[in-house]
Amino acid sequence: MSKKDNCETPGDLSKPQEELTAQPKDSSPVEEKPIVTEPVTITRKRPESKSSSLSIEEEESHTSDKPEQDSAAKSPSSWGYWGSWGKSLISTASATVATVGHGISTAIEKAESTLGVPSPVELSFRDQPEVAEDASTRESAESTEGETSSPISGALGFLSSISTAVQSTGKTVITGGLDALEFIGKRTMDVIAEGDPGFKKTKGLMHRNTTLSHVLREAKEREEQRVNSDVTTETERQAHYGLLFDEYQGLSHLEALELLSKESEGKVKSILGALSGEELAKLKQELESLKEVFSLEEFDDDEEVEKGDEDFIKELSVLFQDLHISMRPEKLTNARKAAYRWINKVEEEEKKLMAEEESTDPKEEEQQKYTVEDIHESAIRSLAELTACSMEVFHKTATLILHGEASVAAVSRGKALSQMTITLCKEISQLSKKITTLLTTSGASEKSDILNPLITGVFLEASNSASYIQDAFQLLLPVLEISHIQSRT
Amino acid sequence: MAYAYLFKYIIIGDTGVGKSCLLLQFTDKRFQPVHDLTIGVEFGARMITIDGKQIKLQIWDTAGQESFRSITRSYYRGAAGALLVYDITRRDTFNHLTTWLEDARQHSNSNMVIMLIANKSDLESRREVKKEEGEAFAREHGLIFMETSAKTASNVEEAFINTAKEIYEKIQEGVFDINNEANGIKIGPQHSTPGSPGSHMGGQQAGGGCC
Ligand SMILES: Nc1nc2c(ncn2[C@@H]2O[C@H](COP(=O)(O)OP(=O)(O)O)[C@@H](O)[C@H]2O)c(=O)[nH]1
Ligand SMILES: [Mg+2]
Repeated sequence: MSKKDNCETPGDLSKPQEELTAQPKDSSPVEEKPIVTEPVTITRKRPESKSSSLSIEEEESHTSDKPEQDSAAKSPSSWGYWGSWGKSLISTASATVATVGHGISTAIEKAESTLGVPSPVELSFRDQPEVAEDASTRESAESTEGETSSPISGALGFLSSISTAVQSTGKTVITGGLDALEFIGKRTMDVIAEGDPGFKKTKGLMHRNTTLSHVLREAKEREEQRVNSDVTTETERQAHYGLLFDEYQGLSHLEALELLSKESEGKVKSILGALSGEELAKLKQELESLKEVFSLEEFDDDEEVEKGDEDFIKELSVLFQDLHISMRPEKLTNARKAAYRWINKVEEEEKKLMAEEESTDPKEEEQQKYTVEDIHESAIRSLAELTACSMEVFHKTATLILHGEASVAAVSRGKALSQMTITLCKEISQLSKKITTLLTTSGASEKSDILNPLITGVFLEASNSASYIQDAFQLLLPVLEISHIQSRT
Repeated sequence: MAYAYLFKYIIIGDTGVGKSCLLLQFTDKRFQPVHDLTIGVEFGARMITIDGKQIKLQIWDTAGQESFRSITRSYYRGAAGALLVYDITRRDTFNHLTTWLEDARQHSNSNMVIMLIANKSDLESRREVKKEEGEAFAREHGLIFMETSAKTASNVEEAFINTAKEIYEKIQEGVFDINNEANGIKIGPQHSTPGSPGSHMGGQQAGGGCC
């Protein structure tokens, strides 16, 4: 063993030694600019946190087959649950087609309008009323109409539906901005499922009890394939969250984390199996209180001031201190910096344009330096990168927890990780809001059928990002459990 | 980008033998002499072509330290190929091969192709392990053998690609059950079964339909 080896103990805070600074190594450049069309339509109303599920249930009562929704809700991580729940919602959607008929053409749109969803433009305006006003005066009244959402052609990769489908969330209840995202994501997958053969296939996979990363990889591959087969509309060069997420090694980190999680789970089970009586009861109780840390966290990010790079970095470093893990997640913080730097650049450009418009000949055509498609693509890339980096953070955290002695109680680590999850999800939420605002201002002169899908796409992938992050968090539970057990003896 | 197969590799061997450098040389075609120690596992990916087929290599580069051993063992499962690396300038890294091999054989699937790599061949003057010794070890244990230099890139491509060729041949011979993902092999999207999206376009699509 070289002397280097000694400095990799997680407790050694004086020597940061992580490798999160390495560059993504995937060098296949062909995945850079995929082209695709996805004929999926989604417009949704931002739900009030409770009424959302109500409206679903109301719809349920109209349909004949009563779903196992209640029992399923208690075990949201089981794959089978999604299958049946998905089916029930699909039948809801179909039933809606029969009952509601305002000339909207597809089942999907009907389902959405039944769920009471405003246009995505409205969704993004909620946080920026002054922008909304501004934009609507610039001839985009159509897109701010609200309740009567016009049919839009979608920007959703079907991976959106998949990754949301496999989310084992529900344990972490998040209110506020992300609640809306969550809502959109969950419902969307069911509605989309109907028109998506690829998705149905994946549902079959889920029944086989495959792992999360496996399902995601499958989904990504089908998306890759579709990218290759749809050589059509070059104009709609839409970014692919799933491909990018893999390119940034998000899938690999998730897979590795999953392996560690499973291994730990197996160990915990065999240890529990070897215990009995009071000893067993005591350990079970301890593990129960650890589990609680993973089950309920609420936050409300509606009124928060925008966080800057430094705040974010500081927050993370405090959390790593609480975890007693020496890690500088530079890849993550750099990805964030880059995302905001880009947004700021576009914003500057916007301002300049506005100023010019006022001073010069108003008839002169705006020369937009960045198109809404540019903004959308960059948004999806940023979300994928931030999420992949988050996977890396969770994976490395699991590694270091398993690697070192538990210098700190598992429950406190669990709390820190829960806080980390919230921090990361808020980050995703903030970024998506910022980008959709930018899209709305930049695209004020665009038709809503161009703008809406782009905005919806950003919200959906943000929702996926949040799901990935929350899933990764859940995978750390067995890791902390075994770490706790080992520290007892 | 579409591929015919995806192979999962794992790189193992003592710390400092050049595992991470080999990966970087293979994926990025560069040598970075100083970099951080690997925590647990890092990843890289690259597309190669064998027999006219696109094959994606998904490579897991593990930490060599003893203290990470129990963690990295979790990653052996589901690998189709392993690069077992030692450093020709450090005999101890050669002496540890038996332990590494036992570990690998025990925790991986039996068909895993193992390539023995004698790295740092550019440091001839400091050589402690003769090429013949490496060859003998490989022969004895049924491994493929190759001397490489992550620094000069000598034989690096070959090491990764020859391993893939061996795996590919095993697939052709029917040794690998490619439908069992525990073998570390995945069939690419264009081989998908009827009924899945895009299957109508047949199997001869070369990939890279965009740009
Ligand atoms: N001269 C020479 N040095 C190498 C070569 N490969 C790696 N190194 C050096 O060996 C050290 C350890 O390499 P690294 O890839 O981190 O080893 P790992 O622990 O097995 O991942 C580094 O300082 C490298 O610069 C090689 O082929 N030739
Ligand atoms: Mg290394």
